Amino acid sequence: MTAYLIVALTSLVAYLFAVKRLGWRPSDLPGALARIADAVGTGLIFALVNLAAAGGLVLGLRALTGRFVSLYPLDDGVWLVVSMLQGWVWRLWRDSRSSRVAP
Amino acid sequence: MTGVVRPLGIATLVLFFLAAFTPLPVRLYDMLAIPARIGPADAIVVLAGGGVLSDGELSDTSRRRAALGIELYRDGLAPLLVLSGAVGWRSESAARAALAGKCGVPDTAVLARAAGHTTHEEVATLGPLLRARGVRRALLVTDASHMRRAMRLLADAGFDVLPAPVRALDAPRQPGERIRLLHETLRESLALLYYGVAGYR
Repeated sequence: MTAYLIVALTSLVAYLFAVKRLGWRPSDLPGALARIADAVGTGLIFALVNLAAAGGLVLGLRALTGRFVSLYPLDDGVWLVVSMLQGWVWRLWRDSRSSRVAP
Repeated sequence: MTGVVRPLGIATLVLFFLAAFTPLPVRLYDMLAIPARIGPADAIVVLAGGGVLSDGELSDTSRRRAALGIELYRDGLAPLLVLSGAVGWRSESAARAALAGKCGVPDTAVLARAAGHTTHEEVATLGPLLRARGVRRALLVTDASHMRRAMRLLADAGFDVLPAPVRALDAPRQPGERIRLLHETLRESLALLYYGVAGYR
């Protein structure tokens, strides 16, 4: 648990550094957290779509070929990380587009 | 779309922190797992799990299940030890039978069989073999999280099933271990759902 106390401590130090030295506004922080939630939510949607598509493909191959194709390769943590990255890129792409259109 | 995505993201983050820093995964796992009910039976049935490694050794999961089956046999709970194994180029069931032999289980008391790729195929293969040997009550050995699905299949095949679960993880203390437990619980819940939809139960 000590490692997570360190994370809390560095978060506090980063916050103070950002506000005191870099001049960032604390009022912008909730917006940043909301964008993180957007990226995670989009990543989850990608994860569910990926899972459904891959599962459907495996079961379809089983039905069509009559041969066993394992579902176990879908049981992989990297799968979730890659899906989250998909979601993150999607959000960044979307935000960069809207920031260009806004002015 | 943002109206759905943001709450979904917040819910995911909340679940992540609850899973990492509270006993929630343990509670969910306990809801899924079946407690042990050990007693005399006609056979001890050890389901396949993880196969064998590239050097021919049993995987940890397979070895743990086989070890519990051997222990139950040596406790005199059944006269027959059924060691199942995944179908593959290396025989998990044969490796398990060799382990049982080293532990003093006589060959005549062991039925080792490569029984399929999935739990459903395994029970479909083992069922007739067990019936042919007059087995009515089976002590079923598999992981605690897998027990509910396996028990249903074996009970549907007409057997009286006593669960002898192997717990995959000790009580988790670290956040990473709790996340792993949640992962196992979610995976098995999805498998249960799939078996229900597929009509296996």
